[in-house]
Amino acid sequence: MNADRWSSLFWFALGAAGIYASARLGVGNVGEPGSGFMPLTACAFVCVMALVVFLQSFGGGGRRLSALWRGVYWRRALGVGLLTLAYVLALESLGFFVTGFLLLVATMKGLEGLSWRKTLTISIVTLIVSYVVFKVMLKSTLPAGMLGF
Amino acid sequence: MDFVANMVMGFGVALEPMNLVFCFIGVFIGTLIGVLPGIGPVGTMAILLPVTYGISPTTAIIMLSGIYYGAQYGGSTTSILVGIPGEAASVITTIDGYQMALQGRAGPALGIAAFGSFIAGTIGIIGLQLLAPPLVSVALRFGPPEYFSLMILGLVILTYLAQKSMAKALMMAGVGIFIGTIGLDTMTGTPRFTMGIPDLLDGVGIAPLAMGLFGISEILLNVEHKIKHEIVATELKHLLPSRKDWGESIGPILRSSLVGFFLGILPGGGAVLASFVTYGMEKRLSKTPEKFGKGAIAGVAAPESANNAAAQGAFIPLLTLGIPANVVMGMLLGALMIHNIIPGPMMINEHPGLFWGVIASMYVGNVMLLVLNLPLIGLWVKLLRVPYSILFPMILFICLLGGYVINNSVVDLYLMLFFGVAGYLMRKFDYEPAPLVLAYVLSTLLESALRQSLILSGGSMTIFVVRPISAGCLILALILLVSSILPRIRDRRRMLVEQAEETT
Repeated sequence: MNADRWSSLFWFALGAAGIYASARLGVGNVGEPGSGFMPLTACAFVCVMALVVFLQSFGGGGRRLSALWRGVYWRRALGVGLLTLAYVLALESLGFFVTGFLLLVATMKGLEGLSWRKTLTISIVTLIVSYVVFKVMLKSTLPAGMLGF
Repeated sequence: MDFVANMVMGFGVALEPMNLVFCFIGVFIGTLIGVLPGIGPVGTMAILLPVTYGISPTTAIIMLSGIYYGAQYGGSTTSILVGIPGEAASVITTIDGYQMALQGRAGPALGIAAFGSFIAGTIGIIGLQLLAPPLVSVALRFGPPEYFSLMILGLVILTYLAQKSMAKALMMAGVGIFIGTIGLDTMTGTPRFTMGIPDLLDGVGIAPLAMGLFGISEILLNVEHKIKHEIVATELKHLLPSRKDWGESIGPILRSSLVGFFLGILPGGGAVLASFVTYGMEKRLSKTPEKFGKGAIAGVAAPESANNAAAQGAFIPLLTLGIPANVVMGMLLGALMIHNIIPGPMMINEHPGLFWGVIASMYVGNVMLLVLNLPLIGLWVKLLRVPYSILFPMILFICLLGGYVINNSVVDLYLMLFFGVAGYLMRKFDYEPAPLVLAYVLSTLLESALRQSLILSGGSMTIFVVRPISAGCLILALILLVSSILPRIRDRRRMLVEQAEETT
């Protein structure tokens, strides 16, 4: 299946949904544009361009959908994505130090297979430096979590 | 006299200890990310946006500017020694720079890149300080229709120069405008597309958007490949170019500085365009064009000078009109707006310390960069050997931490992750994120200019074509759009893109 054809259909659907939502906001008229005027114009433009890409996809030479993930380590990207999601979910309950440490260790040791010595050294140094920069120097609020640190 | 007084004031600001420190941090980080493939100035500026919350706006802009022009310097090191551009504006440097390194002339290549960048950067700053004030007086005559048309022109130029499909780039601009409208309508107070999430009432923040699209997505794409750098083992002691090298380079440096500066001013233009155009120009002007591509020193001097001069030129539309010429300037606009400073013609009078301080800091930063890039070249080469498996977890962690501290909100992190995955998929399908981010940054200004224009004209669209500046911008935008469809020009554009891809 042609990748451009699929992606253009996706954008067209998104544009159409945007037009519907914008119209509900009230488009107003050209003399007095409403809140939905600009987003509706933008979404209509997205739909038109999606149609252009869709038609261009019949011109030949486009890549197939399956080719986009062929020959790459897509599982590593998926792993990083999932670890990031886990970090976001746990950040406020576990706090800055614990989640940060777990994320760094999981990526460096779990995904990349670095030695424990390297993993622990780099993780601890990164945590300390970022704490000094954000908390001490910039006075930012970092989540302490239920463990209190 | 005013000019001298302004520059004295500017240096007074730039030389304040705090500003000096942050200028150094900016150019240092800029060089660092220029050297390291896998993260560009936009991603870095997005990551460091939260840092700017805790410092004064002048200090923040000095640091962020330093990252931008510092990255132009650093990008050449990777291009020459590894044959992989550290960032987009150094793509063309790779052709002759890497060939020089293979021939054992990495030293002069790195040297001329640093000196050329310094000369061009200085010419660019002089141009900036000379051109910005008169342009401000012109900009004061701009009304909403002129602003609207100029922004449309900027977006069209940016999409015209898109690496892949122009239709896709235009589509991304549309998506960017739509995302920019999320949140409270500034004119009516109506919430738009917030889905009942209170955090979205203020709109989608530039930091989660840019960090997601440029930071997280870059990581996701890079980890799919095993990045291995083959650094050319070469003598790096002779960094000073010989008299013959200077003879072959000085003309290209001066010409490319001027051309690069003016291409940098162009909305939608910038360092990448400047480096490509000047390389082609110098090849045509050269008495020995056959040497280009085989290690010609002019092929390093020209693009490296041009991208630095363009980096300075790009500040003009932002500082005088309040319109970012490219996505990096969009990030700077975002940083200024965080501090409630609206760039534009009034800024030079309302915030003279910021305006002249930032310009003066560029002189200081340029000197710092020369010091960083010549004696410390060994350090950058060592850094190139740090594996990506160590770098990316740290970049990811800093991204996430930075994204959180802006508003102490996990919603921002969800948004960042969402845009990170979206950016990853977009790039997989050849949709470039730069037009999206620039359109997003411009969307508020664009919408208010459009609505004000229509209210002024009582609903008549002719207001955009009866005013000369506005009409000129729209005609130019139309010419670009039409020309992109014409087969001959389209093929030529495609050829340029293919050349760039072959290089990378």
